[in-house]
Amino acid sequence: MARGLTKSYGDVQALRGADIDVAAGQITALLGRNGAGKTTMISIIAGLLRPDAGTVELDGIDVLSNLDEAAKLTGIAPQDTGVYGVLTVRENLEFFANLAGVERGSRATAATDVAEQLGLTELLDRRAAKLSGGEQRRLHTGCALVHRPQLLMLDEPTVGADVATRAQLIASVRAMANEGAAVIYTTHYLNEVEALDADIVIIDHGEVLARGTRDELVEAHRLSGLEFTLDAALDAATIDGLGLTATDLTANGGATYRTSDDRSIGALIADLGPRSEGLLAVESLRPDLETVFLAVTGDRLDEGGG
Amino acid sequence: MDAVRAIVGVQLRIIRRDPWFLLIMFGMPLVIMPLFVDTIGLSLQAEGFSDASGAEQVVPGQVVMFGFMLAGSVGFSVYREHGWNTWDRLRASAAPAPSLLAGFAIPWIGIHLLYQVVLLVAGSLLVGLRLEGSVLAELLVLFAYSCCLIAFVLLLTATFRTINQVNAIVNLGAMVFGGLGGAFVPVDSLPRAAQYLSPFTPSFWAMEGHRDVFLEDGGIVDVLPEVGVLMGAAVVLGALTVVRFRVDETKEFFG
Repeated sequence: MARGLTKSYGDVQALRGADIDVAAGQITALLGRNGAGKTTMISIIAGLLRPDAGTVELDGIDVLSNLDEAAKLTGIAPQDTGVYGVLTVRENLEFFANLAGVERGSRATAATDVAEQLGLTELLDRRAAKLSGGEQRRLHTGCALVHRPQLLMLDEPTVGADVATRAQLIASVRAMANEGAAVIYTTHYLNEVEALDADIVIIDHGEVLARGTRDELVEAHRLSGLEFTLDAALDAATIDGLGLTATDLTANGGATYRTSDDRSIGALIADLGPRSEGLLAVESLRPDLETVFLAVTGDRLDEGGG
Repeated sequence: MDAVRAIVGVQLRIIRRDPWFLLIMFGMPLVIMPLFVDTIGLSLQAEGFSDASGAEQVVPGQVVMFGFMLAGSVGFSVYREHGWNTWDRLRASAAPAPSLLAGFAIPWIGIHLLYQVVLLVAGSLLVGLRLEGSVLAELLVLFAYSCCLIAFVLLLTATFRTINQVNAIVNLGAMVFGGLGGAFVPVDSLPRAAQYLSPFTPSFWAMEGHRDVFLEDGGIVDVLPEVGVLMGAAVVLGALTVVRFRVDETKEFFG
């Protein structure tokens, strides 16, 4: 659907020829760290940004040259919550339905349907400013899907949301996909990706590095071995000699390393000899999305980021 | 057109939710009007308008000056969308820049016009302003002034990054343009150098139109030059706004 997207902000290249495909009824999780290019990519697909190069096609429509037509088929919930605090939940939903071209006679139903889907029915006549943060987040998402778009784009929809809101949003996204919508969902949270049963696109430094289902990616990029932290860094000769990869430095002068073979913890301690007294932590690398991300990007996903 | 209608509707709804702002904007000139009527009346009588009470200058003068301040609200509305993070959602409708601008301009032209009418009516009740000329001519002057100011503030919005920058220009503009344009005292009372600058302000043309109607008992034909200048300026300012306005430019609201 999007091909060869390239976008620079001054000297910073946000996207470097990125592609993405999303089919009807499919959820695609765009996974990457802050600044990886996720927001830039969906902003281009939504027509909010012009790419330096590349094409975006949706249902046979060239999005970049037919923004008006494409806008009726897409819905986007940007990263920052954007609702009218002085208006009620109902007024917000009806306004965004109106803006997206929903006929006057259908707006009220569209608003109540979305409110029900997101657990906002009891709050329909409450001003958005009086809602809790999680409720506002649900309304923010609801405004993007009130016109039942063919392509729904959610940019980190659960950032700052409570557990109940997360569950509600994930259920709504799955419901939209079941109704036939294509969904692009950017996130830091690997557990959400698994809960959505989404196809995954891993993006880093503006490039798509891997794509596939969870199982495909785990199979293709499985890591085995151990990751351990020492209270002091090893010298280069020792690292080479023990067949290790240095992955991180700790704040107090220590360092984290990874083995890439099937060595046991006992064997690792034996290999380290007296240095094993400085062992602070050892972790077995399991074949999961975290290790896939680590293998693909060379770094861990910062799940605490915004 | 659908997007314009939707944005106009939501802007009017937002404005209705905070009527206190408009009530304050109505109240302040009503406090000021009675303070200057007698003094300005003497000045007008010295000019040759023997029946003038002073209300013919003071009431339109307050309308012109506070109208300038009220026009700043259209800029506030645009910056507020950025502060509320709703601007990108409006843009996601793919409405072109002129449609987005029209969605903000139309309600504020209407409110601005209504504001001026209500102030004139209140002025007639409070300080005895009498309309001897054409009502339609006066409405034309008011409408042209509203269009000119809203277009001016939207051009400021297209040009400046922060709401504080626009507020500063609007507030200072209300005083400086009001002074130069004859909103405080008749232009003939101003120093010669100031009188040369007066025609470069919208306040001057609005005040000339008001004088035609309230002091000269003028009709539509009499106010056409002033209305023409104000509407011409509105068209030029509006065109410049459309050219300069970038929908993807980040604007800073308070904080």
